[in-house]
Amino acid sequence: MKKKLSSVLSSKIILILCVMLCAVFIGVSFFTDKLTTPLRNAISTVVIPVQKGMNYVGLLVADRYDTLQEIRTVLEENEDLKEQVDTLTEENNQLKQDTYELARLRTLYELDEKYPEYSKVAARVIGTTTDNWFRTFTVDKGSEEGIEVDMNVMADGGLVGVVTDVGPHYATVKTVIEDGSYISGMLIDTGDVCSVKGDIKLMDSGLVRLQYFKKDVVVRNGDKIVTSNISDKFLPGILIGYVKDVTNDSNNLTQSGYLVPAVDFQHLQEVLIIQKKKQNS
Amino acid sequence: MKRKVGELILILFLYLIQVTFGRNIAIGSIMPNLLIILPVLFGFLQGKNEGMFIGFCAGLLYDLYFSNLIGVTAMVFVFAGYFAGVFYQKYEETEALIPLALLMVSDFCFEFISYIGNFLLHNKLDVLYFISRFILPEIVYTLFVAVIMYKPIAFLNKRLERKDKRRLSEID
Repeated sequence: MKKKLSSVLSSKIILILCVMLCAVFIGVSFFTDKLTTPLRNAISTVVIPVQKGMNYVGLLVADRYDTLQEIRTVLEENEDLKEQVDTLTEENNQLKQDTYELARLRTLYELDEKYPEYSKVAARVIGTTTDNWFRTFTVDKGSEEGIEVDMNVMADGGLVGVVTDVGPHYATVKTVIEDGSYISGMLIDTGDVCSVKGDIKLMDSGLVRLQYFKKDVVVRNGDKIVTSNISDKFLPGILIGYVKDVTNDSNNLTQSGYLVPAVDFQHLQEVLIIQKKKQNS
Repeated sequence: MKRKVGELILILFLYLIQVTFGRNIAIGSIMPNLLIILPVLFGFLQGKNEGMFIGFCAGLLYDLYFSNLIGVTAMVFVFAGYFAGVFYQKYEETEALIPLALLMVSDFCFEFISYIGNFLLHNKLDVLYFISRFILPEIVYTLFVAVIMYKPIAFLNKRLERKDKRRLSEID
């Protein structure tokens, strides 16, 4: 069958056919996922297990290499840390007394904890984008493990991004730092709203743009920015990062600056996916 | 048929390396574009049809999980394979500079098209920045990888050729 085809068709006709097929794919994927989802699922049954295996091997090698390198520094650190432990135990005792007092006072005022605990699922990063422009990645948990589109993803206690696409055993996560991501944040203490915008030009420094603080808001370096109540996808109160260098804009109405993400995106290996969506809550 | 299967396995292998180890082998957070090497080299070594077939499969895989519009990369890769195939049998296999030059042009075109789609249309007009920070480093890195991969791929191509010699003589 194939032999006949290749002898009948000249390469120009094959080129035209290929381009038409591509155009069909582009057209269909622009409007709907009907064609691409089965293809994705079919290929993911082959690709995802291998990816998991390769990832495991890579981690193993990296681990070995790191342990060999780190043993010497660890020994030195150990001495210092022992001293620190002593001082910290003292501090800890004092702080414990404070927390008891706080708990007592909270019950007095009948205050709940400020932010509710969300139930989370741990997932391992198994693949990154094929191009250099974006920072999207895939994880090894999918719809069969209860992951859904628009669930929030965390790591190191900070916000990583949001699930944009789900297959049976994989999910694609769009990160906060990549170009085109745009989320609403607020100062943790005063609740002043701002917007956090990924920018490809800040990729080298690892920073994210912080915009639209009102002019009279006092913002200091190191202030915590958390997701705000306004966002329709992100649950409120998740730490995004820390403020850096906020200055007045030239329009003299707003302030803007940079944000240092709480997550180390360069060495992201495991993430936590929050199994609660903003829309349902 | 064996040839196609072998090529598909090669595509899958390079895709997996790109996706899993891509960030680890990145220099200055730029990783090489491993998948575009295949259609160009196979187009040069084996003709237009082979280049287009590989371009289509590799491009589809490239887009499948990380892009909203599936098929754009496939289209560019198909053209890359086709134009590399124009030079098929016009040069000796040892003249490796020809496919490398083709690869340079195709990678630049591909990256520039994806820059237009992803950034220029979103009002990021700083063309020089994107070319000097992303596109040129990627081309250099990709060419470096292609230099290393050229001999093994040419060898593999010969091995696959021997297995279905009959089919090859029918095409020519």
